[in-house]
Amino acid sequence: MDYLLDVQDIHTFIGQYHILQGVDVHVPKGSITALLGRNGAGKTTTLKSILGLTPPRQGSVRFAGQELRGLAAFDVAALGIGFVPEHRAIFRDLTVEENLRIAERRKGDYARKQAFIFSLFPDLQRLIGLSGGALSGGQQQMLAIARALVPDNRLLLIDEPSEGLAPVVIEHMMAAIRQLATEATIVLVEQNFLVASQLAETYVIIEEGRSVQAGAMRDLVNDKATIHRYLGAA
Amino acid sequence: MNTFLRKNLLLLLTLAVLAGFLAAAGRNMETSDFVITLLRGFSVGALTFLVASGFSLIFGLLDVLNLAHGTLFMIGAYAGWTVYVRPDTFIDLVTPLALLVSGFTLADAWRHLAVRISMTGRGVAAWIGFGVAALLLAYILPRYPIAMWNVDDYAQSPVAYSLAASQGQVTPPPAATFTEIAPGVAVLGLLISSAFIAFGLAWLRSGGQAGRPLTWRSFTRVAMVLLVGLGALIFNDALTAWLFALNSNWLFAIAVAVSVATGVALGGLMEVTLIRPLYVRPIYQLMLTLGLSVIGTELVRAIWGRPEFTMPKPELFAGTGAGCPATTFGDWLTHHCSTVILFEGRVRVYNEIFIPLVGLVVLISIWILLKRSRLGMIIRAGVQDRQMVEALGINVRRVFTQVFALGVGLAALGGVLAAPSIGLSNTMGESFLLNALIALAIGGLTSYPGAALGSLLVGLLQQFIIKYGQIGIPIPFTEILFKPTPPIVPASTVLLMVIVLLIMPNGLLGKKE
Amino acid sequence: MTANLSPSLWRRWRGLLITLAAALLLPFVVGLLEGQPPTAVLANSAGVSKFVQGLAIEVFIFALYALSYDLIFGITGLLSFGHAMFFAVGAYLTGALIKSFGLPLWQTLIWVTFASVLQALLFSVVLPRVKGITFALVTLGMASVFHLMIMSRELGEFTGADVGLQGMIKPDFLNPATERLRLYYVALALLVTMYYLFKRFVDSPTGRVCVAIRENEGRALMLGYNTFRFKLAALLLSSFAAALAGALYAIYQPIISPHIASLGFTVTALLIILIGGVGTLQGALVGALVYRLLDFGLRRYMGESASFVNGLIYVLIVIFLPYGIVGTWRMKSLQLRQGWAKIGDAIPWKPNDGAAR
Repeated sequence: MDYLLDVQDIHTFIGQYHILQGVDVHVPKGSITALLGRNGAGKTTTLKSILGLTPPRQGSVRFAGQELRGLAAFDVAALGIGFVPEHRAIFRDLTVEENLRIAERRKGDYARKQAFIFSLFPDLQRLIGLSGGALSGGQQQMLAIARALVPDNRLLLIDEPSEGLAPVVIEHMMAAIRQLATEATIVLVEQNFLVASQLAETYVIIEEGRSVQAGAMRDLVNDKATIHRYLGAA
Repeated sequence: MNTFLRKNLLLLLTLAVLAGFLAAAGRNMETSDFVITLLRGFSVGALTFLVASGFSLIFGLLDVLNLAHGTLFMIGAYAGWTVYVRPDTFIDLVTPLALLVSGFTLADAWRHLAVRISMTGRGVAAWIGFGVAALLLAYILPRYPIAMWNVDDYAQSPVAYSLAASQGQVTPPPAATFTEIAPGVAVLGLLISSAFIAFGLAWLRSGGQAGRPLTWRSFTRVAMVLLVGLGALIFNDALTAWLFALNSNWLFAIAVAVSVATGVALGGLMEVTLIRPLYVRPIYQLMLTLGLSVIGTELVRAIWGRPEFTMPKPELFAGTGAGCPATTFGDWLTHHCSTVILFEGRVRVYNEIFIPLVGLVVLISIWILLKRSRLGMIIRAGVQDRQMVEALGINVRRVFTQVFALGVGLAALGGVLAAPSIGLSNTMGESFLLNALIALAIGGLTSYPGAALGSLLVGLLQQFIIKYGQIGIPIPFTEILFKPTPPIVPASTVLLMVIVLLIMPNGLLGKKE
Repeated sequence: MTANLSPSLWRRWRGLLITLAAALLLPFVVGLLEGQPPTAVLANSAGVSKFVQGLAIEVFIFALYALSYDLIFGITGLLSFGHAMFFAVGAYLTGALIKSFGLPLWQTLIWVTFASVLQALLFSVVLPRVKGITFALVTLGMASVFHLMIMSRELGEFTGADVGLQGMIKPDFLNPATERLRLYYVALALLVTMYYLFKRFVDSPTGRVCVAIRENEGRALMLGYNTFRFKLAALLLSSFAAALAGALYAIYQPIISPHIASLGFTVTALLIILIGGVGTLQGALVGALVYRLLDFGLRRYMGESASFVNGLIYVLIVIFLPYGIVGTWRMKSLQLRQGWAKIGDAIPWKPNDGAAR
């Protein structure tokens, strides 16, 4: 099968610590894939390794047929990968508009995508002049996703989109992500299994730095034993 | 408004206390003294700001404490002096520099070539290339004719030339000519060695990645550089004569431009070659920049000598004849007086009015750059979260180089502006680096307005203490007149820094981590 | 058990012991090379050996001083730009107490110890408030005030102002002119004792917490350690060692130069441990040796351009010895060992296999 993103057996070290010890992730084009696992299992590091922020020492990361290992993070991102990090990483000193504009990869990206972004997150239009630090958690999360939408990204890496958000906001977020999936392929890290199971079509479970199981989400939902074993939740 | 007050209560209180001190300082002296001291404070503050702002931009974005910043400030001053007082030396230097740079302007082409010719043992081949280039340069450069001063002979030393220039009687020394080496050989040799070095570097760095696509731009760039280099060679005499005859205002402008360009080039070169490999082990950056500052200082000593000298002021600020000192702005415009009367005191126009004005202009321009340009946006974002900027696909490496070059360029501007007012010395870099560090600590290390406020406070405090060193401070209720001794000047700023940091650990305008 | 222990102990300390033996024999070996019998060396007669002893004493002083800086910067991660003050207080107090107040050496040393505790407390007052580079600047500020005090005319009677403190009558039994060999061994013993003490400190639970503070203070705090207390402990020990180094300097040098209180002298300590390897302790010893000999050799053979070459060498060290001499050596030897292990894995039979089972 042809994958848009094909991660094979990557090993990543942070300092002397061997964080990822063999992770495989295969993402079909146009799908939503969820990375599942306990806290500290290595999901976030996997995303960062794909992007080259924590470059893997071994293994291969192929994106649309091109090997990414060895490229600098900004070169990887420029190939069309958007990143929505944990804790959002909104630029506090920049206004909402600047937070969007800074993500432009070509001149006019922002002008072109403006309408689409505001249809997805109508609130942002109202807040456009505010500084990023003044936004609430939910608003920051929307801005973080919107920021990844400004350039033409073929792949979005979204880390913990529901973390710390109120249930109503989560609903909104999920609707937005579903709509995004029609435009781009998405890899999602999500602690909240309910959210992940409703959004994703495929999953990869990561346990202690290794990918231990992968498959279709609808199979996992019924596999209570696996869920209990790796995710702890019922 | 209320929340603003509450959030910044400490800052406002501190500022109020400082303003109170300033007012109290003014009560014990004549108005004219007060105004002059104030202006001198602005002047020192502006120069400090030029060092501090660049330092703070570099520290904020790159996390590099550039301890060579003061030395680069000093190099800016000496480079400006060279263009201003000895334009012949400057023109002589243009050709070899341009030829040496020409190879690097073709970097894209070399990279493509390097990918094509991938052979085993290219590391060795590249080093052989470097060796050949080094030999060639070792042969050519000592024989290349450059009209220079001579630090060992007083009559031909920079000090003597400065003196002559301030009296407007620099006699252009005989031009250096090609006697030991044929011009063709020199030009060809420089071109070849430059190409060898640039290609060798491209070869060593090519990790099988093809670079950016080749455009005509890189070829026009190399053509421009060659044109400048060869043009300066062919029209050497004419250019020299023209510069010597040029109005000193224009020459000063050229000197400032060249000095800033030198700073930008040195900064860019330093970041790309030496700082870049060290982002992973920050402590060693300290050692590297320290080593570089020692090297820079020693080079300045070797080239320009140890004695201090001053760069003459341009005509615009040097008038002394009839109608001077000027009492009105119109007077000054017609006579270009070096001093004006302000509140019955004589104020030196260049030192106490021009420098603060330039400082203000730079302050505003950089502010606009930060607020309005894309580069500024990236800098502001990067100060907060470098990794995220990188994850957006922005080439942070290039931005780092640009910011480093910008920061050093600002320091060089400060240096060349300082040259006619405080003069050139081997220690000017050190003292201004210390000033800038203190100013940044007071204002907030990575805060741009903080750099401005801190520099201003440092400048004012120093100048008021110096002034009181002359007139003495009457201690209340006693007859004693306390005269601060010169060592108290630096001590006072240090003391202010410690007090401010103990009250507000992040500086007056610094952000909480 | 003991049989197992002693080889590992031997392996741990062998480098130090060999160096120590070499240092003990150094004066006599140099003497013999020059043709001086050991008796002449013992009698402190003039010659190369006496000169080398002097140079070595300077290296010991630098080593002790750099060691003390490595403890707070390399081990605990406190970047101080005021470390020269720790040294200078020791030197000037020794000089002033002996010269102007005529105290005997042992009383002077008690006062020095007392002062070293005081200045560590002074630095630690700001510790809870300022971190990182701000701490460096505040300490720089305190040290500069001290530097200016020494340089000021008002205290010139005791400190010699900008000329430096001279004319201190050296204690008879440690006089660098007549009893240099004894001073050499005393300095060596002091250095070895302090090194041993530091090593024990770093390996102790307290030292481990200090390393943890350097790596991530927030985490150390979260684990329930009162990081302030550990930083204070490191500062106290460091201040004590630096003040002792300063006292030694006062005894050895004919003039106590105000330069030792300046920022430049703090930078010297920084350079030494950067050359040797930050946070390795041994690096301070190696770095001091390299630094002093380099400085001496360059000044002797390069004359004018010595500083230039010095700066160049620092830059080259940064580029080619990325973690200092000791740090880079440790890494390389680790890689070498791993390389050997890999070759060992490739060999199908292993000689130890049978014995292990």
